[in-house]
Amino acid sequence: MPGDKIVQDLVLEPGTGKALEVNKGQKLRIEQIDGGQCADFNCFNLHDYKEYFHTGRTRHMHGLHPSKGDFLWSAPPRERPMMYILEDTVGTNDVLYPRCSGFLYEYQYGLPVHTNCHDIQAEAQREYGLTPDDVHDSFNFFMHTGIDSGGRPFIARQTAKQGDHVELIALFDVLAVPNVCGADVMATSDFAFKPLRVVVSEASEEELATVPAIPTFVNQRGPADFRNARIKADRELERDPAYSPAFTNYPIRTTDLEVMLSEEEYAALRSLVATGIYGATDGEALRYAFFSWWIEKFMNGPKHFEDLKT
Amino acid sequence: MATHKVTVRLNQQQLELIERTVEKGEAPDPEALIRRALREYVEAHPPAAGR
Repeated sequence: MPGDKIVQDLVLEPGTGKALEVNKGQKLRIEQIDGGQCADFNCFNLHDYKEYFHTGRTRHMHGLHPSKGDFLWSAPPRERPMMYILEDTVGTNDVLYPRCSGFLYEYQYGLPVHTNCHDIQAEAQREYGLTPDDVHDSFNFFMHTGIDSGGRPFIARQTAKQGDHVELIALFDVLAVPNVCGADVMATSDFAFKPLRVVVSEASEEELATVPAIPTFVNQRGPADFRNARIKADRELERDPAYSPAFTNYPIRTTDLEVMLSEEEYAALRSLVATGIYGATDGEALRYAFFSWWIEKFMNGPKHFEDLKT
Repeated sequence: MATHKVTVRLNQQQLELIERTVEKGEAPDPEALIRRALREYVEAHPPAAGR
């Protein structure tokens, strides 16, 4: 932080957020002023707002609590790393909970007019011509959450202290939108609003060098790859009479592959079938074992498969 | 040597994955690859241990 070339340095007051242009190679810091404050966060490609941050893909790639060394990914079919988490002094981020909204406070608390992250985001994004429909699920910085033994998510007490911060490097030009979470009657920020400091600065060469190499894939598709690249500008949905479906690899065709197993191999297969969890037939169990083996041996990235942890 | 014929139903995408793996030299043909997978999978995950 000391010595950084500062582009913007401002305080987000409770109930507010701010849309910030963060160019490729610049850094966004979100810092606790008093501690214990959740920051909701939206992010768009500055030059194509239809590419935006996706909690789902980020959750898939980095788990429920992304932190230092992880990326913020854009939604399919773009699926590019948008920002890199350079620093995180707390490690209690959340990509499980949706943003709070006006509906939530009205339904759960009987408060029809109340600060909420959706409306705060919408108001901040309006500065760049976006509408309330453009707000997307948040990356929730400093939101301390978990999953209980019954599989239900919960919100725990804050651990972020004064001066704690996250720093994000933009991997291409983005519109970054942090806001002070509007939840004061939920546990999210320990039942009290606090301001947050946000700083945009130039990342140093040393910091940029910490960003892992980012491979590219043909399936990271943009408008140039779309059969319909025109952004729909009216609200009514009407059928295109010229539409002709072109689903990938459709029709799906099956083939029966015969595999000759030795006595020993067949005994091994039967031992799988006997468990009752690999399939009802020899063929189903062999297919299950094959793809389980393949995932374990060759698959890149998080495997998301029981017993096959990365 | 006694052998047992097992029929595995695969779609064209699953076959593509198998054929690509064979092309990388992991086995001489799809059948050999599947047999190798079975042996190695059961060795790594003995059914008695459960999944």
